[in-house]
Amino acid sequence: MNCEKCQELVGELVDGALSPEDESTLTLHLEECLACSEVRNDLQSIVSFCQSHRGEYSAPPNETALWLRIRNVIETEVQLPATALPAQGFWSRWMSRSWELSIPQLAASAAAMVLIVSLGTTVLLRRWDNGAGKAPVATLPNSDAATRVRDRMREQQQAMDYWNHRVEANKVRWNQQMRDTFDRNVKALDETVNERLNELNRNPHDEFSEAMLNAALNDKLAMLRDFSDL
Amino acid sequence: MSIRLLSPIRFSVAQIFSALVVLAVLCSCASPTAHAQRSVSKRFPAGKNVRVELKNISGTITVESWNRNEIKITASLEAPTANVTPKLMGECVSIDVMGDNRGRGDVGDVNFKIQLPQDSSVDIETRRGNITVSNIRGGLVRAHITSEGDITLSGISASQVLAQNTIGDIFFDGDFSRGGTYQFQSTKGNISVRIPSDSAFRLVAQAPTKKIALNEFWNNGFKNLGDGRKFVGDVGDGRSSVMVTTFQGSITFLRR
Repeated sequence: MNCEKCQELVGELVDGALSPEDESTLTLHLEECLACSEVRNDLQSIVSFCQSHRGEYSAPPNETALWLRIRNVIETEVQLPATALPAQGFWSRWMSRSWELSIPQLAASAAAMVLIVSLGTTVLLRRWDNGAGKAPVATLPNSDAATRVRDRMREQQQAMDYWNHRVEANKVRWNQQMRDTFDRNVKALDETVNERLNELNRNPHDEFSEAMLNAALNDKLAMLRDFSDL
Repeated sequence: MSIRLLSPIRFSVAQIFSALVVLAVLCSCASPTAHAQRSVSKRFPAGKNVRVELKNISGTITVESWNRNEIKITASLEAPTANVTPKLMGECVSIDVMGDNRGRGDVGDVNFKIQLPQDSSVDIETRRGNITVSNIRGGLVRAHITSEGDITLSGISASQVLAQNTIGDIFFDGDFSRGGTYQFQSTKGNISVRIPSDSAFRLVAQAPTKKIALNEFWNNGFKNLGDGRKFVGDVGDGRSSVMVTTFQGSITFLRR
């Protein structure tokens, strides 16, 4: 008996499943071959350990789920060659995909698209309107001065939004007189800002209007900050 | 008895008038505002360079000088729950209505009357309400109204004066000290400055409305910038610095 044949049968020897003839032949080889003997010993010790610790391992918490996971892994591995096809871009896959639609499905899809587009347009228009209410009404032409003003206003607007948010949160605690005062004064400052913006719209290089606009924006910011404490 | 109840009762005019008067008195006594008004008064000894700092929320503030060497603070509180606690810290008397009433909700108007020696400095800020300061000759007079209220500063001779509001007029009547700085700013209000004819200062006056009247303080050395919306120039040889700005109102210089 050679080593290869021996190592094939050594498992059955450990299990005691060999015929008496094969067992004696294998035993003879094991007495002569140190390598095969070590394999038999290793296997024997593993089996003995398993037998002596039988029932001590903890069962998986959900056996069915475990098997399902194993199955998924196996199936994924089986499918891998299919996904490992030459890499195709999302767009080319999307474009090469074929669609089969019945007439009612087609009509429903068209109706859904019309609905989505109209809803999206409505939302965008509303947002645009709200933005116009918060930001100054006047628009500025394209120039270095106008860009500078626009940048400054954008920076200021972020700070104002923050303080305005705090003011709105505290406003419920104020009396009506204080609320009216605040609204009147914000309106006065907004008027000033809009007047300066209109002036800059007419003359983008009007340094006086630019300086006054900055001062008015600073004043508005200071007022929001002061009232946010109330 | 039943006959008396059913029969008409005759009242004289005097009786009816008396009854109405009694009723009116009772009603006014029972009205919540009459009960709500509460007054707090406190006195502090005044040192040489005394300073009063007041941070109010709403109400009128009147500051005036007197000949005593002490500070008297009288506060009239609209809401009985409001708290006003003036504190003396070194040479400074501090009143912080905002801080004293944090978490108490709406405390209504608190009207102040402050009497102090004329050499005192005054630093006042409030969210709304008129400020009047008269006859102060200390280092600083500052009156800041975040929103609306008139500012009246009369008989002022301080080296630094700052007055600012959003809606409301500003009136200054006083002197510009040599080397002093004076700033007056309103968003929607008229600013009037009344000074002696021999005043000397460097002026920057700005009003987008172009309503700037320098009257007899005008001279040819003034630069007209921004097409009549801004004037910069010197009056006399004084080195005090004066800046006057109104966004939607007028600027007027008057001779005292």
